[in-house]
Amino acid sequence: MSGARWHESLARLLVERGVAPGEARRLAEDSRDEARAAGVDPAELFGPAAAYAAGMARAARPAPLAALTRTRGPVVLRLTKVVKRYRRREVLRGVDLTLRAGEVAAVVGANGSGKSTLLDICAGAAKATSGLVERAASIGYAPQQHGVAPYLTPEEHFRLFGAVHGMGSRRAVATGTHLAAGLGWRPRAGAVAARLSGGTQQKLNVVLGELNRPELILLDEPYQGFDQDSYLDLWTQVYAWRDAGAGVLVVTHLLHDLDRVDHVLELKGTEDR
Amino acid sequence: MLWTIAGTSLRETGRRRAALILVIVLPLAFYAARSDMQGQAIRFLALGVGWAVATLALFSHVGARHLDRRLAVVGASPTALLLGRQLALVGMGLALAAGYFGLVAATQDVNRLWAVGLLLGTTVLIAAPLGAVVSLVLPRELEGALALLAVMATQMIADPEGALAKALPLWSTRELTGYAVDPVGSDHLRDGLAHFAVVALLCACAAWIAAVVRLQPQKLPEPRSA
Repeated sequence: MSGARWHESLARLLVERGVAPGEARRLAEDSRDEARAAGVDPAELFGPAAAYAAGMARAARPAPLAALTRTRGPVVLRLTKVVKRYRRREVLRGVDLTLRAGEVAAVVGANGSGKSTLLDICAGAAKATSGLVERAASIGYAPQQHGVAPYLTPEEHFRLFGAVHGMGSRRAVATGTHLAAGLGWRPRAGAVAARLSGGTQQKLNVVLGELNRPELILLDEPYQGFDQDSYLDLWTQVYAWRDAGAGVLVVTHLLHDLDRVDHVLELKGTEDR
Repeated sequence: MLWTIAGTSLRETGRRRAALILVIVLPLAFYAARSDMQGQAIRFLALGVGWAVATLALFSHVGARHLDRRLAVVGASPTALLLGRQLALVGMGLALAAGYFGLVAATQDVNRLWAVGLLLGTTVLIAAPLGAVVSLVLPRELEGALALLAVMATQMIADPEGALAKALPLWSTRELTGYAVDPVGSDHLRDGLAHFAVVALLCACAAWIAAVVRLQPQKLPEPRSA
């Protein structure tokens, strides 16, 4: 790739990763000047544009606000002996959990252990066979699949979900765009969801789940398709929501990020009866 | 919220260009196939419009099923979700009907031309909720499309005077076509409009009940303070 094309590519990739266009241009120009001063091809000096853009975008992103003093608030979700049975098959058996505002809970377990079913029950999309589910009224919900409409653009999604939350069109788009930047993504006007990569669709799914600043955020394996940086951004967001006073319930099958969460609920799955 | 849902639904459908072209072409094919017989041509045209709109409604509601469930969980009313999508579908259906009304006006010398507009409009007003009912009862595309095929094909071949034809949703289209084309009395108009009113009401109620049953989230109590 020629030097000029490398710099153009860098600027475009930076914008795609959530860096403001003016700032992206400035960073690309800085890289060009540095490569010229060194008298080498930019690809030789900095490596592939995509990898370099990922690192730069991360560094250029506004630092999250200083961590708030975390206070645990009222209970936003309480599950008491929740059971879910499909005919003879018991999917969930006696699940108990208490999640307060300002806490993060991770639901872990093997495939088929009932993680998504539990999240659906917490959201109100499915009914528990027995047990008690108490939940805050204001929730954000990002399901594992089919969370977005393939023929709508991200802006149209923001308007649609914003209308449900009583937000004006402009405010919904501004909020959605701001939240997307936190995940290293700048929505492109006119591109429908079906044309976004799997990871970007998932970012849209997550942004829609937090658009209304809910008291309780329910996320079902929200990192599918994410690259490493986006994955780290997501967990940074999760802890930012927690510090801002939301309760967060994350369904996951990755176990290496559980040291900072407040509760780990392991679902074992049950046998057919 | 209603208008936002209707607007997004219109945009979603508008972006499925190939599907839209087929929706436009289907009634035209029916009309062209029987263009030598005025009454048959108009009846088949109207049934084609009905079939196309009902199929569009079926796929629109089935495609939006997961998103609508998500929207309902975070606070959207199932009634608003159904009404918003129906508004978009009826709008598109009436635009299609208006286009074909223009075609009939330009190519046929019809006894009561205004009644052609009426029968095309009533067909759209039945077809949109009919597609929604099928989508909510049979929430998979293939099963729903086959169910619509069975209803529409039976409607076309059933004896119009028999009980079976009268039990099918678009019998009013046939009655109103007779009134528009033939020198008959106003009893055809009265019977057609009465059948339309009953069927439209039944379809709208069934679609609303099915939407509420499918989309209404569980009512969960707020946590007691510990």
